[in-house]
Amino acid sequence: MSIRRRLLVWLLAAVLAGGLVAAGVVFFQARSEANDLFDYQLRQLALTLRDRSYTPSQFAQVLQGEEALDFAIQVWGPDGTELYESHPQLRVPGAVQLGFSTGEGADGQWRIFAIQQRGLTIQVAQPMAVRSQLAFDAALRTLLPFLVALPLMGLLIWRLVGQEMQVLESTARAVARRTPESLEPIATRAVPDEIQPLVIALNGLLARLGGALSGQRQFIADAAHELRTPLTALKLQLQLAERARDAGEREKAHAMLGEGIARAVRLVEQLLALARLDPDAPAKRDAIDLAVLARAAVQAQAARAADAGLALEAEAPDPVPIDGDRGALETLLDNLVDNALRYTPAGRVAVRARREGRGAVLEVEDTGPSIAPGERQRVFDRFYRGESAPTGGTGLGLAIVKRIAERHGAIVELLDGADGKGLRVRVSFP
Amino acid sequence: MRLLLVEDDAMIGTAAQQGLRQEGHAVDWVRDGREAEAAAANGVYDLLLLDLGLPRKDGLAVLRSLRAKGLQVPVLIITARDAVSDRVAGLDAGADDYLVKPFDLDELAARVRAVLRRQSGRATATLRVGELEIDTAARQVRWKGRDVPLSGREYALLEALADRPGAFLTRSQLEERLYGWDDEIASNAVEVHVHALRRKLDPSIIRNVRGMGYSLVKGA
Repeated sequence: MSIRRRLLVWLLAAVLAGGLVAAGVVFFQARSEANDLFDYQLRQLALTLRDRSYTPSQFAQVLQGEEALDFAIQVWGPDGTELYESHPQLRVPGAVQLGFSTGEGADGQWRIFAIQQRGLTIQVAQPMAVRSQLAFDAALRTLLPFLVALPLMGLLIWRLVGQEMQVLESTARAVARRTPESLEPIATRAVPDEIQPLVIALNGLLARLGGALSGQRQFIADAAHELRTPLTALKLQLQLAERARDAGEREKAHAMLGEGIARAVRLVEQLLALARLDPDAPAKRDAIDLAVLARAAVQAQAARAADAGLALEAEAPDPVPIDGDRGALETLLDNLVDNALRYTPAGRVAVRARREGRGAVLEVEDTGPSIAPGERQRVFDRFYRGESAPTGGTGLGLAIVKRIAERHGAIVELLDGADGKGLRVRVSFP
Repeated sequence: MRLLLVEDDAMIGTAAQQGLRQEGHAVDWVRDGREAEAAAANGVYDLLLLDLGLPRKDGLAVLRSLRAKGLQVPVLIITARDAVSDRVAGLDAGADDYLVKPFDLDELAARVRAVLRRQSGRATATLRVGELEIDTAARQVRWKGRDVPLSGREYALLEALADRPGAFLTRSQLEERLYGWDDEIASNAVEVHVHALRRKLDPSIIRNVRGMGYSLVKGA
């Protein structure tokens, strides 16, 4: 059911109910007032008849021709014989008690007032229906304006609500016009206060959506651009392999091609890792021990470090329990250790995990060339590669590290290594 | 011909250098914008292969500053930037051609030849000097209608001389055209190659004048 129809039905029902309540109140008030008034009249009439001290025969004379009178008058003698009855055709209940009473007649209820005087019992009675009719008429008169107003109000409500609803419709049209290419906010100026929270919330959503979309687009554009470099290398390396004139040349070309493929594979893996780390996706929370993770990362890269003549050591003697995403944190450590090994020509790489205050700290420290302070922010940008970056890197490692840290509420800092040499990457978990 | 390759990616650089060497060019390779500027300034190169996204100084900036210094060396841009606006900017900054990555070694070689040809004012790939016919695309030499197989350096030397018949090139100029930085040059290398060419073609085809250098005889 539309809001318009619902409003119409409920408002009209409310108006009608109001009218009925008013009419009811008027009815009861009017009846109560009529009761007082008519009782008074009854009594006055009875007293008048008493004070005039008519003889029974005189009653007939006095009241002759008063048949139209609303009141039925009866007079009984001391022995209970009926001396006079004004409306013999009406069957008024007989004298029951003195003073006011309500009696059941054949045609309905009667209001009765009886009084005694010198042995005569004078009773004045009036049908109750007169009073109810009066009250009912008053109530009807009260209700009438409501009934007349009802269709008018209905029309008015229908039109006014319809008019107000047009704002909703125009807002809906404005929303319908939005496309992924044009997500500009919807104007809130002409929107009524009640709908403004909706439009503002919608604008917030549009803004977030636009940001996410342009971020994705930028990522895809960047990724496609970055894929060109390894693909170009692969194409050239393949052609060199094809052109090779002897076994030696061919072997050399194939070795280069292998390196090129390894680089392309690593880039694709890193892109996938980054894409999986969607900032809006909820992070998993496992109970994990960073010390175990640190030792595992060292274990995994030990062979490579040995080949490069580097000392790769874990310094994590005590358990460092935190809640986190195991797979993501493994990727984080893998990237940091990979970077350290890649950039360190000689010396050692240390992977540390320890508790600090109420939080935990992961550190990867190398004895390589470090990163100039001016460059330390930019290296977190996707695809940024330092001036002296060795070949084979993807420019994504630290971007991935940062993304994973953010998902854990952790902070990544690039610091100088011990005695100012090398780089110390510090990830502080809250 | 002697080329300067400016490319920051090690794999692409290695492969392109090797591929162009196979085409008979002497190729020097630098990895950033400032080195490129310094290397190009000495004027020995017949062609620059310039990447745009370079460390330390962007390729376009390098190109503009070279042109501002009055260097006329032909420049072929090789880049991953493929937007029309990038190409326009590159060509307007003074590039002679624009090649988008990933490119083909054969296409790169062909474009290098085309740019070099235009530079020397020729429209076709074939050079003719009297009875001598040089197909620069296939790198084949015909003398009086018969094919003459030449080594890479012999061919490069002959092509350098045939580019401007009658003009003299000094020994060091020829060495610069023939050898890159990494090549070891024997002190009599040019004489050895000239001797071989005279033997294979005609003893009188290359003239040697003391103090002037070598030239190809026009009417031979």
